[in-house]
Amino acid sequence: MSFREKTAWISLLSMAGIYGVYFWSVIKAGPQAGGFHSGKLLGTIIALVVVQVVLNIAVAIFAPNEAKAPRDERDKLIELRAMRFAYAGLATGIAFACFFGAFNPPIVFNTNALLFILVTAEIMRCACQIVQYRRGA
Amino acid sequence: MGTIRNEIRRLRFEHGEMTQQQLAEKIHLTRQTVNAIEQGKYSPSLEAAFRIATVFGEPLERVFHYSSEE
Repeated sequence: MSFREKTAWISLLSMAGIYGVYFWSVIKAGPQAGGFHSGKLLGTIIALVVVQVVLNIAVAIFAPNEAKAPRDERDKLIELRAMRFAYAGLATGIAFACFFGAFNPPIVFNTNALLFILVTAEIMRCACQIVQYRRGA
Repeated sequence: MGTIRNEIRRLRFEHGEMTQQQLAEKIHLTRQTVNAIEQGKYSPSLEAAFRIATVFGEPLERVFHYSSEE
């Protein structure tokens, strides 16, 4: 498994796990719960940064040459395809959010819905990268 | 769609059993990319293809072969 694929796995799993806990707590609190869960969100972002930095450093220690090497043309192509795939997901999600936003749900629900769409798009990007690296692309 | 085949594996063998890693370092690609090219899963850019051919001292058409499927 290449260094780039490992970093994509780290991003995917850490985001799915850590944001999963956050969104689960938001869903449990219900859309009528006041506030933006700002404390929880801040904790989520800090946890995500710490986990990703630690795991990426750990992976880089075991493959220092790969970690130092710049992305080559195939890495860039895979990244571009993944971005295109994620953008389609992001645009679709935003279109749904605009549609449902017309029914005037509480603003806190709307904001979390947008965050959920953003995180989902990012997870789609990582997943698409992993699939392409697995296939050899 | 056509297919691009290549002789990289044979040429590596003929050049002192050069490893994929050694070739990758010479052409500034990763070993995984060299492996993907060798297996025909990834078609390199024209520049990368020329760099590969230059390493083996062969013209491009003796390293890569294009066949169109009608």
